[in-house]
Amino acid sequence: MNVSSAVVRARGLVRTHGRGPGRVRAVDEVDLEVPQGQTLAVMGPSGCGKSTLLHLLGGLERPTGGEVWMDGRRIDTLSERALARMRRRSVGFVFQAFHLVEELTAAENVELPALLAGRSRRQARRRASLLLERVGLADRARHLPSRLSGGQRQRVAVARALVNDPLVVFADEPTGNLDTAATLDVLRIFEDLRAAGQTLVIVTHDERVAATADRLISMRDGMFVDDTRLAGTGTGTGTGTGTGTGTGWLGGLGGLIGLEG
Amino acid sequence: MGSVVLVVRLVLADLRRHKAQAAMLLLAVTVATATMALGLSLRGVSDALYEQTRAATAGPDVVALSGDTGPAVTAALASLADAPEVIAHHGPYRIVYATLSTRDSISSPVVVQGFAETPGAVNRPLVTSGRWVRSGGTVLERGFATALGVGVGDHVTIAGRSYPVVGIAVTAATSIYPWAAQVGPGGGPSDYSGLAWMTRADARTLASSKDLPVTSALDLKLRDPAAADAFRHAHRASDIRINFHSWQFTAVQDMVILGDSQPILVVGSWLLGFLAITGVAALAAGRAVEQTRRAGLLKAVGAAPGLIAAVLLTEYLALALAGDALGLVIARLTVPAIASPTASRIGDAPGPGGATVATATVLAVAVAVLSTLRPTLRAMRTATVTALSATAHQPRHRPWLTALSALLPTPLLLGLRLTARRPGRAVLQACSTATTVIALVALLTINAQPERGYGLDGSFALPNLRGEHDRRLMLAVTVLLVALAVVNTITFTWTTAMEARANMAVARTLGATPGQISAGLSAAQLLPSLPGAVLGVPLGVGLLSLFAARNAAEAPSASLLGAVLATLVATAALTALPARLAARRPVARILSAEAA
Ligand SMILES: Nc1ncnc2c1ncn2[C@@H]1O[C@H](COP(=O)(O)OP(=O)(O)OP(=O)(O)O)[C@@H](O)[C@H]1O
Ligand SMILES: [Mg+2]
Repeated sequence: MNVSSAVVRARGLVRTHGRGPGRVRAVDEVDLEVPQGQTLAVMGPSGCGKSTLLHLLGGLERPTGGEVWMDGRRIDTLSERALARMRRRSVGFVFQAFHLVEELTAAENVELPALLAGRSRRQARRRASLLLERVGLADRARHLPSRLSGGQRQRVAVARALVNDPLVVFADEPTGNLDTAATLDVLRIFEDLRAAGQTLVIVTHDERVAATADRLISMRDGMFVDDTRLAGTGTGTGTGTGTGTGTGWLGGLGGLIGLEG
Repeated sequence: MGSVVLVVRLVLADLRRHKAQAAMLLLAVTVATATMALGLSLRGVSDALYEQTRAATAGPDVVALSGDTGPAVTAALASLADAPEVIAHHGPYRIVYATLSTRDSISSPVVVQGFAETPGAVNRPLVTSGRWVRSGGTVLERGFATALGVGVGDHVTIAGRSYPVVGIAVTAATSIYPWAAQVGPGGGPSDYSGLAWMTRADARTLASSKDLPVTSALDLKLRDPAAADAFRHAHRASDIRINFHSWQFTAVQDMVILGDSQPILVVGSWLLGFLAITGVAALAAGRAVEQTRRAGLLKAVGAAPGLIAAVLLTEYLALALAGDALGLVIARLTVPAIASPTASRIGDAPGPGGATVATATVLAVAVAVLSTLRPTLRAMRTATVTALSATAHQPRHRPWLTALSALLPTPLLLGLRLTARRPGRAVLQACSTATTVIALVALLTINAQPERGYGLDGSFALPNLRGEHDRRLMLAVTVLLVALAVVNTITFTWTTAMEARANMAVARTLGATPGQISAGLSAAQLLPSLPGAVLGVPLGVGLLSLFAARNAAEAPSASLLGAVLATLVATAALTALPARLAARRPVARILSAEAA
């Protein structure tokens, strides 16, 4: 089934909202392939369907038509339960509004997906502390989200998205709520991820964020109007850690950790 | 004046927006106050019915009963009639102890009183159908006839001889069915028996032909009916043993058949009121954020704290008082059926008295105030700006719980964390479950009580009316309690689901399945239900021991265990539906709504 190195693939993807004259085509006949290790930025005016596209690719929403493939497996036909399992193993989400669990500390938020995926408490804790250190928040591990700044919260959210060593990270305007300094912190982490070969799909309004990508897609009215390979920063296909080829979830961390120093 | 208009307008707007919630408060208060008003009215209604029967039948002030018969007894009784306090009398007359059988071969002990064909000035039984005694025919007391299912024109066999039933009548001279005998042969204890009248000659023939036990009685009318007890004491020292039954004593005896009804209804109404408070408090807490924000808005436009409190309280008080009024009407309509399980008394049941109305209203107001006190106070205290920006409640971190829950399967983990989020609601859910189990324990215990039927030798051909009445009332109260508890459980689950929807949606993006989410929501309700159900058993047993007779039987442990398990299974089933509905909601939409 490994026709291409595409981690995420969509064919004729359609998503409509509403009925009759008020019907909106949020995503309109979109074809997409995201190869392993690519950082893809999606830009476009508000309401053009960027978030919807991300939700469809990550299995949070079901398409009205078309197909979605994740790591060679078709996911738009999966049951809710199987979709949840798929997300657990293969996908990490980062949202503009952070969406941290307010009652849990930074570390516990990061551990949560690992525990959901059935890791032992000890494994989850070790993994969380590595990742928090990685995003520069080791000293804030025991803080509740309400005691963190926006930038810190978003870095916790990134750490949480990475905890199960996902095939692909989907980020929906991850810097939309952040000031310049915090945006730069998050960008630096994305740079590192890209260098480590992590597949990334980032929806953004921010040119600085888009500039870190290998590829930029512009959307309008649910359709792709432009698809550009960005020169210079790109590293091409994933030569990093070979995620998804059987390396253990801790093994995958090796490349990631090594990058900081 | 302007502020009254404002309060009314705000209250009406709020009621329109929260119809289901308003209906629930109204219903809960109605049920609780109706039950309480019923329980408190029983005594008054029983007294009133006795009073009306006494007036309609020229009821005696004192009945003198001797355990024997013969010239000496007759003379002793007759001498009582000459006492200066006495203004009229009836008798002495014979009371014959026999067995009565109907054509359907229902048999019962019966006491036959020998009366004149033309009734005298005292103790004139009121014929409610047919006619008064004549030679060869018998008149049955109405409570007895109703229990037997016998009417005028039927034949009954008394001590082997067939008599036509020529009439049905009531009297205030004896206790209600089945305590008409009042004393047994020889002045000893009596069985459950019915009452029949015959002519004096027929009664004499009946007694002598079969050599049946006979006692004598005399009905007395006193100058001062209130002095019936004084008369009793003054004439006790006779050499022949005579039992005096004052009319007040007979009136109190009428309550014996309702002896358990009153605690069932009154304690039941406490429990119903308690469930109403827990349910409404959960709803009010669920709306606390919205209310706090509204209070902030009102403050921002210059409303005084008093006005804010007035709006919040007025709504709940108005609903509670409406429920109170409705409950009192329901109590008024149902009390005749409940206060008189036998047909031995006549008359109309009066409405609930002033004290009953006041107590029921206090209960209704207590439900309204207790369930809204916290949100009201919080809304008044919170500073305007904080209130305007009020979001979810301030999260609290419970590290030990998080540590513990990490060891558990995902649904339990989610459930435990949800429970920890709202400890107050967990307590309410536990209390609600405990109340259900208390009611079930009471129901099982009442059903486990040994009893004798009213038929011959305790046969259930004539059922034990008191036991049946108790069981029916207990069943009704239990059904109401369970219904409120069901509503509470569904409310709790739904409120929890709505409050936790953002976190649950996040958990789903992290790979939790809808099944795990709904199992988690169910677990959040089941976890506190478990200690609630277990505690309910000792609480129920303890509560019953306050009212039960010393020799009361306990319900079998197996059935108590069954009740606990059934409650838990039912809770799990009830939480499943709202939890599933909540877990089905699309993740993406919840998250974008939360971010907005
Ligand atoms: N649940 C919904 N019901 C109806 N219409 C919807 C729904 N969700 C999204 N839409 C519509 O679909 C279109 C695309 O929405 P989407 O959120 O994907 O846009 P976006 O590109 O992410 O915008 P923004 O940059 O503002 O986040 C919009 O026109 C929106 O109104
Ligand atoms: Mg968007």
